Formats: sequence, structure tokens, C-alpha cells
Amino acid sequence: MTWLSLFFIVASLLSFVGAQLVLKRAMESTNTQSGSLRSLRFISRMAAGIALMTISFFLTLGLLQRFDLSYLYPFQGLSVIIITILAGVILKEKLTMQLTIGGVLISAGIVLVSLS
Amino acid sequence: MRDRPSGFGNPWLQLVLSVMCVLVSELLLKRGATETADPASEWSWTGINSLASPLVWWAIILIIISFISWLYVLKYIPLTIAFPLSRVVDILVPLSCWIFLGEVISARRWCGIGLVVVGLALVAKPIARIGERL
Repeated sequence: MTWLSLFFIVASLLSFVGAQLVLKRAMESTNTQSGSLRSLRFISRMAAGIALMTISFFLTLGLLQRFDLSYLYPFQGLSVIIITILAGVILKEKLTMQLTIGGVLISAGIVLVSLS
Repeated sequence: MRDRPSGFGNPWLQLVLSVMCVLVSELLLKRGATETADPASEWSWTGINSLASPLVWWAIILIIISFISWLYVLKYIPLTIAFPLSRVVDILVPLSCWIFLGEVISARRWCGIGLVVVGLALVAKPIARIGERL
């Protein structure tokens, strides 16, 4: 793996993780009484989330042209534990020990599945 | 928090729909991207030349459907629970290859599948409580 490919793998992972967090915020804003699908807050968050998803999508396609899916999948597996922790820290979601261990096991399992 | 809708609007049903669409789209994307691979091209890191494959367009349609149902899921279910559960797709792919295509699953891969199942069970356990709150 070259530094360039590592950079694109990390960039696609981070843009995917960022998109999930921003989209969750966007959808949460529709749950409040003042929230609507036309509010500026919702539209700007949704647009940012979709932009990040699009970046991640094309970076992944570019990576798939060079590497096997089985090679790239372990990195996608890491997204589970990263998102679980960041949802607790940034979105202030309740993060129990049970959820954290569950996230670690799922990530580790995905890495094992895709390595073999 | 709003009342949780039932029937087709049930967020857990939408989570299943989203996962199934992702499962099929992953396979289509890999085939489409491989068909159109051109590593010599200057722009190939962006993946844009994969749009020449119809399979990639089918995958995009499925991704849009899964995206809409995923947004709906996010409205009702915390990310710490919804996202790990959505990764059940990562064991559905090798399992469907084993069941439908007769592919062999190595011992290490079975261990990985086992870990994911235990992890999913841990994450899914508090769902009953959250279901009550919703």
C-alpha cells in the first residue's frame, strides 16, 4: 500500500463517518417542535451530509478499481467503532459499556471476515 | 420524541429494507467498477469513469432507496444502535455466498462472523427498552 492509497482510504472512511454524524443531526432537528423539512438548519445539515456521502462514494469507487473488495472491507469495518464512539462524544447519545463492547466486537468481526 | 409509526413506517422494518438494498448494491458496485477499471486514467482515483457501467447506475438507485430509509431510521433510532446493527450486511454477504453459491467459509471467517453476531446481540439487547421509550 502506498501513502497515496492510504490517504484515499482514510479520506473515504472519514467522509463516510462525518456524513453519518451530520445526517443524524439533520434528522434529529426534524423531531423538535420548531423543526421542519424547510428550516435552514435541516437543509444545510442535509446538504453537508449528502455532499460528504457523495465524496465518500466516489473515493470508494476509485479504490475499488485498484483493490479487491476484501482488501478494502477491513477499513470499512472500523467505521462501526468510530461512529459508535463519536455518536456518544459529539451527538451526546447514551454510550453504555455494552454498546461500546458490541461495537468493538462487530468491528473486529468484520476485519476478521474480510481478512480471510 | 414522536410516536413510533407502525406498519411500513416502522423504523426497524426500514432498517431491514436499507440493509437489503446495501447488500445488493455492494455486489453491483464491485462488478461495475471492475468492468470499467482503467488505472492508467488520470481521473480514475475519483471513480467517475465507473459511471459508464449500467450496473453502477442500478447500484446508485438502490443506494438512493437505502439512503431514504436510512434517514427515516436516523429520525427514530440512536446512531449508536442503528449503525452497528446496519453492519449485519457484512456477515450477510459471506453467508449468502455460502448458502446460495456453495462457497467455502474458512475457520477464520467463521470466527469473524461469530464475533459480529455476539456484537450485534450486545447492541440489540437494549432495543426492547428503547422501543418502550419510543
